[in-house]
Amino acid sequence: MSNRTLLLVVATVSLLAGCVTNNQKYDWGKYDASLYAYYKDPAKAGELSAALAAVIEDANSNHAKVPPGVYAEYGYLQMQQGKNQDAINSFKQEAALWPESKVFMDQMTKVASTSAPIRTSQSSPP
Amino acid sequence: MIPLMRVAAVLATLLAFGGCANRPARPDYSQFRSEAPRSILVVPVINRTVDVNAPDYFLATIARPLAERGYYVFPVNMVKSVMSDDGLSDANLVHSGDPRRLGEIFGTDAIMYISIERWDAKYVVLSTSVTVELNYVLKSAHTGQELWKNHQLIVYSPQANNGGGVAGLVANAIAAAITKASPNYIPLAKQANAKAIDLKGSGLPAGPYDALFGKDAADY
Repeated sequence: MSNRTLLLVVATVSLLAGCVTNNQKYDWGKYDASLYAYYKDPAKAGELSAALAAVIEDANSNHAKVPPGVYAEYGYLQMQQGKNQDAINSFKQEAALWPESKVFMDQMTKVASTSAPIRTSQSSPP
Repeated sequence: MIPLMRVAAVLATLLAFGGCANRPARPDYSQFRSEAPRSILVVPVINRTVDVNAPDYFLATIARPLAERGYYVFPVNMVKSVMSDDGLSDANLVHSGDPRRLGEIFGTDAIMYISIERWDAKYVVLSTSVTVELNYVLKSAHTGQELWKNHQLIVYSPQANNGGGVAGLVANAIAAAITKASPNYIPLAKQANAKAIDLKGSGLPAGPYDALFGKDAADY
């Protein structure tokens, strides 16, 4: 019994000693849960979009940084709904917030401003 | 009794000084350090399992830990769709292609190539085990060179967490039934990602959006 207790203490201490760091930089809200739900059921694009909008809203109202990729993912869903101007705005937000995304976002902005609303296999019914 | 205590004491000492148990041989970070990538593009995941949904489900777990490590992570779902629209949905083709071409298209510093080796549940009479096995390779989008790699094998078997006796058997049967109905790989995938990315000495060094960026040479 005491051996077990000792081992348990050792295990706890090793966890506390910082084997795995767990400090959150961003508030992701329901990002991963709703992306998973969307992959399980593509009809849940609306829920994913709402979850991304909530992440953006929460970050902005808390004066926190919107996590990397979230504006872009949101914009891409807007583009799939035919809201190309909204999509372009989102892509520009992503690029302004995360300079690493600029090449890709500029390209997507060009696509969104020159093409008709796109439809992908994920968004259209079979 | 006493030898076990002694082992535990030695273990405790090792942990106190080493920080982490079972630390693997320290990988070579010299190429990683010379490039110091700021951004990571996760390309379509290779699936070596029979579960056709595994790559999509896995994709929902990977952006967050990489971003939390301090990197810019390209929007994984958008990248997947855009690549698929451009005829780049075949993960095997993408993985064997030149990282520098993708680097030009997306403007990324590094590309993460992941393959799912195992993603399955094994059913025995009264118990079950769920396994996730992953290979991670990060390559430079500027030079094409390998910057980092990792391998994770995570096995979850509910019976290991229960006591014995009739009550334990019943609990196992219930756990097995639940797992069989809908094996949930996500917690295992998240655990694998955390162990691959966050472990000191073998994970990814802190990225540019982490306070330790460029200051963690002692650990990596």
